[in-house]
Amino acid sequence: MSMAIRNLRKSFGDLLVLDSVSFEMQPSSITAILGPSGCGKTTLLNILSGILAADAGAVTGLEDKRFSYCFQEPRLLAWLSAEDNMRYALASLQGTNTIDQRISRFLEEAGLTEFRHFRPHQLSGGMQKRLSLARAFAFPSDILLLDEAFSAVDLKQKIELMQAFLKLWKDERPTAVIVTHNMHDALFLADQIVVLSQRPAHVRGILQINTPHEARLFGSSELAAYEQQLYGLLGFIGLDQDTNMSSN
Amino acid sequence: MPLAWRLLGIACFLVAWQAASSIVKSELILPPPPIVLKALATLSTTTKFWSSVSGSLARVLESFLLSIAIGLLSGFISGISQSAKAFLSPFITGVRATPVLALILLAMFWFPSSQVPVFSAVLMAFPVMHTSAEAGIRSVDQNLLQMSRLFHVPKRVMLWRLRVPSALPYILSGAKNALGLSWKVVVAGEVLSQPRMALGSAMQESRLMLETADVFAWALVTILLCGLSEYLFGLLTARANLVYLPIAPQADARSSMQDQGKYEE
Repeated sequence: MSMAIRNLRKSFGDLLVLDSVSFEMQPSSITAILGPSGCGKTTLLNILSGILAADAGAVTGLEDKRFSYCFQEPRLLAWLSAEDNMRYALASLQGTNTIDQRISRFLEEAGLTEFRHFRPHQLSGGMQKRLSLARAFAFPSDILLLDEAFSAVDLKQKIELMQAFLKLWKDERPTAVIVTHNMHDALFLADQIVVLSQRPAHVRGILQINTPHEARLFGSSELAAYEQQLYGLLGFIGLDQDTNMSSN
Repeated sequence: MPLAWRLLGIACFLVAWQAASSIVKSELILPPPPIVLKALATLSTTTKFWSSVSGSLARVLESFLLSIAIGLLSGFISGISQSAKAFLSPFITGVRATPVLALILLAMFWFPSSQVPVFSAVLMAFPVMHTSAEAGIRSVDQNLLQMSRLFHVPKRVMLWRLRVPSALPYILSGAKNALGLSWKVVVAGEVLSQPRMALGSAMQESRLMLETADVFAWALVTILLCGLSEYLFGLLTARANLVYLPIAPQADARSSMQDQGKYEE
């Protein structure tokens, strides 16, 4: 059953943040919410997860769904080892064996098995982010929400992080919602990209990407075509093609 | 280098003391350091000395542990609940503002002489612990709290794995202050309540017999014991910080691990 967001509206006091936002998500798909910084992407994510209530509109198909999260900053406990950080997040689950198995499995898939006893300060920034991703996937969920999870790392770490994400995602294929202001992150990972406008945010357009992840090579003509479509949706054609929209 | 400066500080203090004593020229008013050290050496050969030290030490330990227990409990509750904080705050403020001597004199009506110093020290030291524990609990990283809630981490796990370790630096700092305060108040309480086997009682007896050098010697013992206990507690604190909060040496740890080839990136 698909999940739908219909005419979502949210304001904080007099400040209208989301104005009639609507889109659909298919189960086990990856949806990227792309928009300029401060346009209300995180607010939308918080409404999807139930942290915030919308003023108007409806979210259907998300009832009784389990959510997991990956944040912009890794949010790790400095005094716990990598595996204990995961164990902490899985503390609400039943069965020690199940928890241990999930921890081992996802640490391995994130390439962190040999660092399982390391504390966060002993890991690089990219490894901390991978640990945060592994933790999010290890927590059994139907929907995974990622808030700028691929930002604030250098290009090499970002590519490793996105590859780790895809590897982890293919394991159980939860429905993933990625909030980002970087169009390349969205192009590389998403099955559909929902483009939001400046605040108050509305949906400028939705781009479906049918190319398999393995075939999404930067510089390929297929990805370039999607990129052009995305520029069109963003209204950037003829302007400086800066793909990082934080400055807009 | 800090040790050298510390020794220099002590040496300057002793020189100033000796100079003041030479000016006063009365061992009854201000005995010089050598006389006090001699009195201390003499006292340390007596049974009374060791029984007084052990008696006071036991009282300090008792009051310190009680202050920690009560302060931690009330501080944690206050840190977690705004209502509890509002409820407890008049009591804490009242106790904090009460002069220590008034407390000791009142306690003499209520308790046997051996427990007066303990009661007074607990009442003076536990608010210190309370405030530190409360501040520690409130200092927890809000992002980590939100992450814990989103992952439905049980409250018991959150308390022991997140809140307590976050509060640990505050708790240890508060406990160190409470320890020093316990020594001061216990000995002051002993001076007034005169229990058996107590540094304060011995100090008071020496004063009544006009043995000024002995009064100085007993005071010196108290200072040394207080300093020693704070030093030992500091060692424990350093150990706990090493176990729970390895944040400071981040860059060093990372570069040394890279050197050892254990580090990936």
